[in-house]
Formats: sequence, C-alpha cells, structure tokens
Amino acid sequence: MTQRELEEYLIDQQTSLYRLAYSCLRSREDALDAVQSAVCKALEKRTSLRDASAVRAWTTRILWNCCTDLLRQRQRTVPLETVETTGCEDPPPEDDSLGRQVEALPPEQRTVIRLRFYQELTLQEIAEVTGCPLSTVKTRLYAALKRLRVSMEGVIL
Amino acid sequence: MSNPFEQEKRNYDATPIPEELDERVRAGIAQGRRRAAARRRFRSLAGAAACMVVMVGALNVSPAFASAAAEVPVVGGVFRVLTVRNYQETNEDRTLAVEQPVVDGESALVDRINAEIAERVAAKTAEGEQAIADYREAFLATGGTQEQWAQHDNKVTVTYDVKSQQGGVLSFSVTSDVSFAAAYRETVYYNLDMNRDAELTLADVLGEDWVNVCNDAIRTEIAKAPENYFAGDMGGFTTVDDTTAFYINGAGRPVVVFPAYTVAPGFMGDVEFIIG
Repeated sequence: MTQRELEEYLIDQQTSLYRLAYSCLRSREDALDAVQSAVCKALEKRTSLRDASAVRAWTTRILWNCCTDLLRQRQRTVPLETVETTGCEDPPPEDDSLGRQVEALPPEQRTVIRLRFYQELTLQEIAEVTGCPLSTVKTRLYAALKRLRVSMEGVIL
Repeated sequence: MSNPFEQEKRNYDATPIPEELDERVRAGIAQGRRRAAARRRFRSLAGAAACMVVMVGALNVSPAFASAAAEVPVVGGVFRVLTVRNYQETNEDRTLAVEQPVVDGESALVDRINAEIAERVAAKTAEGEQAIADYREAFLATGGTQEQWAQHDNKVTVTYDVKSQQGGVLSFSVTSDVSFAAAYRETVYYNLDMNRDAELTLADVLGEDWVNVCNDAIRTEIAKAPENYFAGDMGGFTTVDDTTAFYINGAGRPVVVFPAYTVAPGFMGDVEFIIG
C-alpha cells in the first residue's frame, strides 16, 4: 500500500476509528488523542503492512494499542475510587438493556463483542487486532454470548 | 440473519463525531509523514551496512548469480559503452527480472564500477528475496492459503536507464525494486568521464562553488511551491554535499536527485532539480 493510499484510507475511515476509540475510552478528548496518535503510528510503520487486504485489522490493532496505552496512563493518574470496579463475577446491571450488559462484561469479552458486532470485524481480524489465537477469540465470544444470554441462533460468526 | 446487537450497533453508529476529528486526523498524517521520512533515512544508512553482509552470502550460495546466463545487446551506439546482462528466473514465490548494465572498456575505473554494480544487483536481489520470504511466512501465518498466495505476482526487479551519453561522459542509473513494498525501491546514479577515466563530480561540472550553485537553484525551485516540500526545520532540504545523487541529462545539464520522502512528502516521488 502506498503512503498516499494509506492516508486516503485513514481519512475515509476516521469516523469508524473514532467510534471505536470512544467506545473504549468514553471520553471525547481521549478518543481524539488516540485517533491522532494511531494515524501517526500507522504512517510511520506503513512498510510493516505487507498485505494491503489486512489494512483494516492492522489499523484497528494500532488504534486499539493506543487506546490501551491511554487507559493505562489514566489508571496511573485517576484516583482509585473512580476506577471501574465491575468484576467478572458481578451480576448484570439492573438496567437490563443489552448495551449496559455489554459494558458490564469482563474487558476481554467486551472487546470481542464490540469488535465483532459494532465494528464488524471478522473473528480472524479480531485475533490479529488483539494478538490472541483464533481459538481464544472464539472462547471469549461464546462466553460473552452465554453471559449475555443472547441466543447464538442467528448470530453470524 | 439478524444481528442480536442491532440496536446496540445503531447506538454505537450514532456516537457523535466531534467537528475537529478531520483536523486531528490530518495532523496525525502530517506527524506520521515526518516520522516515516526520518525513519527511512535512518534505515537506508543501516541498510547500506547490512547489504555488505547479505551480498557475500548471496554470491556464495546462489548459482543464479554465479552463472547468470548473459544476453548481451549493445546499448548506446558508436562507443559501445554499455552492454546489458539480462536474466529472468521464476519460481513459485516470485519472479526475478534483472537488467544489469555493464560498462565496456578496460580500465581500473570500469572494473570497479562493474564490480560495484554486480555487487549491488546481488545484494538487492537477495534483499528482495528475503522480503518476499518474510511476506509469505506472514501471509500464511495469518490465515492466507497456499492458493491465495499463488495468486500474488511478486517481482524483484533491477533495471537501468541511460540518462545521457555525450562528450565522453556516460550517465546512467540502476534501480532495484520489490513489487509489493515501495520502501525497497532504490536508485543509484553513475556518471563516468571516459576521457579522464574518472567518476564525474558536481564540482567537475559546476566548478568550485558547486555547493552554492546547487543550493541556490534548489531553493529557488522549492520557493515556487513550498507546500510540496518539507520545511527546512522539519527534515526538509538543507544543503547538497558529496553524497548527493545526480545525473547529466540529455541537454548536458546536471540534475540533482533526492530519493522519495527525503525532502518532500511521498507523493512527490524522487525529487529532481535541474541545475543551471
């Protein structure tokens, strides 16, 4: 992929990148920061993208890493009591909207659900983004669906 | 079938997009361009050092280089200054297509230049083969199939271009390239003064004050459309020096060449300035 093609791709995909960053960071400013630094990193590392057809998973992974870095920084600076304390064993929230339930999932399951159903990545792409084997991605997805009590019937995997 | 998360996906898609997003993305692009250019400059230095090692390996192990069948058409009319060794070899992963120029003549300079070109061809083709092998490994490891891989048309090429040949001066370039990654593209220029049996320098052509002559001409050109170039303090053009590449064009004028990304964004490609 040439530099120009990549630049055009990133401009074209900016809203999709922003939504993903926002869903992870829940802050407008942080999401903008994450997108800007992901765009910069993508161009800087362009030559490591050998197969242009993998560009979606590749940019998502870069963005995801930027978001994770920001979250880590935030956890170092945010007072303890405001850090999300929802544990894996907590019951789903009273408000039973699916969205709230997704937010209450353990982070690694939440990630898979978001990437698969909101960002519409394939499971293979999610494996590339998260750096996990495909089998792990599947395990997390099934666990999340089970937890959400979503019927797997009709779920396109 | 329906997506059980349809409503959630709609909410997600309705995430308000801040007005300044586009601006921030473009800022990221500008930042990334600068860093990529800086990175490439560093890499080309490191690459030059690594090539020396790769080359020795390639010469020893690859019979293709040792016994490359040579076709020898004559290029360039009366003086028979340049002949070419062409060879092409294809295997399941890639096609290797080489046009290696060879300067005719008997002198230490000619021998040295021919040896240098041969070494460059060997090093660059070995580097290209390695890049393709890495690509193949990554492609198959990330879920690509052998059938899909077979559809790739990967090429490692070396080509030459005679820029000019007049008054005993031969000016030509040799370009090596790997089809799927622009970063591997590299051109070197040779300017041979056959009368003096020496390589031509910019000082030979432009006189003692060649640095200023070149810099003035280049700055004038950049000033015509500064938005197309990196600013001086952002890694853009500062000055020519002994390592600056150039060739002599058909009109006998020197043309200074900066590789893509060194003085201007990638869309400018290799940037040339005609001097004088």
